[in-house]
Amino acid sequence: MDWGTIIAGLLTLAILTFLYRDNPVYRVAESLLIGVAIGYFLVITWTNTLMDLLFIPLFTDGRLLLILPFVFGLLMFGRFHPATKSLSRLSMAVLIGSGAGVAIPVMLEARTIKQMSATVMPLLASSGMPNWSAIVVMIGVLTTLSYFYFSREHKGTLGHSARIGVYFLMIFFGTTFGYTVMSRMSTFIGRMEFLLTDFLRLTN
Amino acid sequence: MKLEGRHWIFLGLFAAVFIAMALNLGLDVAVSGDTQGMYEFIDTLSPGSTIIVSFDHEASALPEIRPLALAVLRHAFSRNVRVIGTALLAEGTGVGYRLMQQTAREFGKDYGSDWVYLGFKPQYIAAILSMGESFSRTYPEDYLGQVYSDLPLLNDINTYDDIAGVVSVADGSLTTHWIEYAGSRYNVKIAGAVTAAMITTYDPYLASGQMDAMVGGLRGAAEYEKLIKTGGGGERGMLAQTVSHLYVLALIVVGNLAYFLTRRKPKEGRG
Repeated sequence: MDWGTIIAGLLTLAILTFLYRDNPVYRVAESLLIGVAIGYFLVITWTNTLMDLLFIPLFTDGRLLLILPFVFGLLMFGRFHPATKSLSRLSMAVLIGSGAGVAIPVMLEARTIKQMSATVMPLLASSGMPNWSAIVVMIGVLTTLSYFYFSREHKGTLGHSARIGVYFLMIFFGTTFGYTVMSRMSTFIGRMEFLLTDFLRLTN
Repeated sequence: MKLEGRHWIFLGLFAAVFIAMALNLGLDVAVSGDTQGMYEFIDTLSPGSTIIVSFDHEASALPEIRPLALAVLRHAFSRNVRVIGTALLAEGTGVGYRLMQQTAREFGKDYGSDWVYLGFKPQYIAAILSMGESFSRTYPEDYLGQVYSDLPLLNDINTYDDIAGVVSVADGSLTTHWIEYAGSRYNVKIAGAVTAAMITTYDPYLASGQMDAMVGGLRGAAEYEKLIKTGGGGERGMLAQTVSHLYVLALIVVGNLAYFLTRRKPKEGRG
């Protein structure tokens, strides 16, 4: 058995001790996980971001335009001193402005317009039979939207519609929760498979 | 060492999964429409075409992600589809390279001509948009430090126009960015191999046609393994998954029964 498997096996068992109660062994494993993850992230960020995208192109290849993002990046550190704090706002303004400029048209198209148009489907199939999927989607969208209409008290027709909307929401939450349980179980099964097969070699 | 109620629940789950794994029985699963769609997405690609498989996940999702990614990669390599690997999350970088290396070795594929791993690029939105302008400017070098123009596969790849599709292997919302930025803006086909927890997030995109295909969770992996006729982590985990779900269902039933029975008692006492 290689050292990687032994270390991974012992750390998995250390994390699982939390199921009994919080203890020093668990906390050591947890701290190790956080430390390694941050270290890995820092190394990747240093090599793939700062070196590849800034320092090498700027100082080795002589792409002088990169001085701008370099200076804006440095201004971000102004936040650490009260006298220079306001300088970081320049960088934040560029970041938020460019981010919003890129995101808003895309979000509008992909999350609103295309999603809305997907809910408007023919209620009758070409054979003349009802398109049940489209009918359910239409009822679901309208009733769920009515639940989030707060300018009028939920009474009468609006109340009934909002109530049906709540049922659609509950079905969605239940489905999402079910899938989440499935996902967590898969993670547990994956770790169990590693422990029982690779580490303890109790199963094939 | 004092055991409380929740400890017995954990021990019960451990016993159920242990027994299921020890039995080592294959469980036949019915292939869902979503998984069939994902299979067809890869199966209809012409040999020699190139896809991107992007490892947009953290290491903690590996038990689900690994069988999904392996199944998709095996299918792609078996169809002689060329694969470019990327990662939009730092943690997925090493995992992705290892999985691609493993499957490429299984199918005798050569690095540089049949597959390439470009690795991690920070700022995922900028990275996705930048690939639409120029792959070589986005990734001047591959994961191993080789220059872009030295890799034969990449000589044919300039923008998304040269890409037959993107498969985002994700445990979070990063597939959304592929859909919104690469799919919407550059009309590249997007598919997802996602964890079960993310299925409901991507269902609306699949229904609206913004996403071309999706396979999700350990069950999806098992279904895909059935379609490509190879065993794997999905198939192996299905009995344990089923048993653990039955165990959770039993706990819900018992918990509710206990709740309703104990709720009635004070009334009976007063009567």
